Amino acid sequence: MSTHSEKAKGSLNIKSLISAYGTIIAGILIVIIFSVMSPASFATYDNMINISRQISFLVIIAIGATLVMSVTEFDLSIGAMASLGGVISAKLATQGVPIILCILIPVAVGFVIGLINGGIVTRFKVLSFVTTLAMGTIIGGFTFWFTGGATIFENIPEGFKYLGQTSIGSIPLLSVIMIITVIIFWFVMSQMAVGRRFYAIGGNVRASQVSGIPINKYKTLAFALCSMLAALTGSLLASRLGSAHPTGGDGFFLNAYAAVFLGMTVMKSGVPNIIGTLFGAAIIGIMANGLTILEIPTFMQDVITGIIIILALIIQKLGREKV
Amino acid sequence: MPLLHIENLTKKFGGHTALDRITLSIEPGEVHALVGENGAGKSTLIKILTGVYEPTGGRLFWNGQEVRVDSPNDAQQLGINVIHQDRQLIPYFTGIENLYLNVPYPRKALGLGIDWKKMKKEAEGLLAKWGMDFPLTVPASDLTPSERTMLEIARAMMHHSKLLILDEPTASLTDKESELLFAFIERLREEGVSIIYISHRLEEVIRLSNRVTVLMGGKKMKTLAREELSIDRLVHYMTDGQAHEKKETANRPSAGESILQVENLRTADQAVKQVNFELNRGEILGVYGLAGSGRTETMEAIYGLRKIQEGTILFKQQTITKPDPGNSIQNGLVLIPENRHEDALIMQNTITENMTLPIVGMFTKNGVLQKKEEQKRVRQEMERFQVKAVHSRQSIAELSGGNQQKVVFAKALLSSPDVFICDEPTQAVDIMTRQYIHDFLREQAGEGKGVIYVSSDLHEILEISDRILVFSEGKTVANLPNEQLQPNDILDICYSFQKEAVQL
Repeated sequence: MSTHSEKAKGSLNIKSLISAYGTIIAGILIVIIFSVMSPASFATYDNMINISRQISFLVIIAIGATLVMSVTEFDLSIGAMASLGGVISAKLATQGVPIILCILIPVAVGFVIGLINGGIVTRFKVLSFVTTLAMGTIIGGFTFWFTGGATIFENIPEGFKYLGQTSIGSIPLLSVIMIITVIIFWFVMSQMAVGRRFYAIGGNVRASQVSGIPINKYKTLAFALCSMLAALTGSLLASRLGSAHPTGGDGFFLNAYAAVFLGMTVMKSGVPNIIGTLFGAAIIGIMANGLTILEIPTFMQDVITGIIIILALIIQKLGREKV
Repeated sequence: MPLLHIENLTKKFGGHTALDRITLSIEPGEVHALVGENGAGKSTLIKILTGVYEPTGGRLFWNGQEVRVDSPNDAQQLGINVIHQDRQLIPYFTGIENLYLNVPYPRKALGLGIDWKKMKKEAEGLLAKWGMDFPLTVPASDLTPSERTMLEIARAMMHHSKLLILDEPTASLTDKESELLFAFIERLREEGVSIIYISHRLEEVIRLSNRVTVLMGGKKMKTLAREELSIDRLVHYMTDGQAHEKKETANRPSAGESILQVENLRTADQAVKQVNFELNRGEILGVYGLAGSGRTETMEAIYGLRKIQEGTILFKQQTITKPDPGNSIQNGLVLIPENRHEDALIMQNTITENMTLPIVGMFTKNGVLQKKEEQKRVRQEMERFQVKAVHSRQSIAELSGGNQQKVVFAKALLSSPDVFICDEPTQAVDIMTRQYIHDFLREQAGEGKGVIYVSSDLHEILEISDRILVFSEGKTVANLPNEQLQPNDILDICYSFQKEAVQL
């Protein structure tokens, strides 16, 4: 015991500082580098507002991924779910359905699909990895059938685009929705019993079971909320673009998990967390924005973003090894 | 010259001495048994011999030469192989593939492809040489338990093993299968292979061994030669021949009303076959049994962690048909599980988060945590249990084993139970905490709660229990008031029932 506490005291050095705050430091460095290289276009108020709108989709879908990861599961169907959410939303809009229902119906569909994911994983003890991979394939196939493979863009009323394109003052409505989502789920995860139980399950399933927590119920809930947020992301994207492509949301899948993993490095305990995910998504968004301004081609952006994520994870692991 | 000579071998884990200056020799062609209660140091010794643990002190000699065993690979190079209870086979590999697991596959001419024919021939030759007979071309998962044991031994012999360590090899074998194994052990002995044999089944030990070394609490008690062996003697040394003094248990109502009755309990996995007992308010019921007796499994079944096939559980006059942990806690039955780290605590969480987990709902308003109230309550409990920690939001991982266990008890107490089921509650805790836990449970019993106390430490059972329930082979075999009982009275019961089971 004595050696343990000595270690804890002696660990206030640069190495531990980097491992504890490395991701935050890296984030700040990235902002500084872009600001210096391109002060006229990057470091402006307008661009910051722009970034906040650009990352809103990623943040919302990544919050869902954070929830399933907090119970140590994966949902690989979120990309496909976002695509489906988008096309359902757009299709409803073309039928003249009120905008609020154009959002709520896909969100409900997402919730139900998440319940199915969770039900299969918990009841039959199938790996979530495999279950949701298959579910993603099913959803993808269904979306193609539903749209005939074509982008939905004709006859979309202007009212539907309102949500994605309007601003409150200079703040885009999308950014406001993102912030509200962050606050809600931060509250759920850190101030409510539900969050406590999610983290307990993620920390030790067996001990949680012995403590009387209904594991299957909470895991299923995490899947349902995750799918729901993915569907919401898709419908917001459709509103923003005024159209919906059958694979429009697929690209969010990898970045969402990248954001969660980056976010895990922000917390000392290394668990998935909402604020960290917001931070991770912001780093990815800032990278994309800054590199685009510097006219670096998209494929190089992917390479650089990937390297940064791997570095962050390595640095965190190195810092943790001592403990 | 002995094949292996161990001199003053010591292993410390922090302040705890798991092995204390053990000296012993293994002769070539000898079956040398190690016996002792759980925690006697058998596993630690084996792990040092196989390079898993590094000894804190002492020396090892192999054929008279001092050696170091720094890794399992070193052990294998010397010719030391261990056959564990949990088998080290790849289930979907065939017998042949499992034999060649750590050996380069023979190649065809010019290295073009694997020479499967040669592999098969060599494997068959190996089996023929040792008089073994089991199919080599089916996956290991399709073999019977004894065939799997044989396969593992065959693999060890492929590495020209000179010292084979068998760790509870008969635990999952039927009697017929055990007989086959015993015959094979004879054969190995004739060929000059030395065997370290570990078993709780003393009958087997006496039958097979040239010599037996008894360990207790990390110390070597005695090495007995074949002609000196008897169950009584072994039990005598395993328990240090201590006449036991029972601590004060007075000023408790000797028998309150019955609170828990279990009848003809059988679990779906047959780990529990026929369990009957009754627990009264104000009573500490000690539960003892050897490894594999089904005592832990019984507690898990009652609590709701193991599927029940038949039997009735009556808790506070209510029949419980399908217990589950959530309901058990709500009804007032709490389990303190055997493995603190795996089953009781969430190591990355704080003291508070761990302590209030089962009843976190009580500290919420509309689902929102009332953290101030929660902290206040946790601090109270920390004070009551004298948990040594910086503050209540400290990570549980930073606490000592004893303090962690106090948190586990505080967590149990917070749900205001009527019955505590404690499974090895003082395992790996310091003396002070152990005393504290005993006092706490006596106090709870004094208030009319029921306590079930499972332990593999006989002395502890005799010290704390009002009544003692003995388990053997998944059944309750004795129910004794703790009056003038001696450790060997109980061990005698265990071994005689085991013998009976073997003869049946």
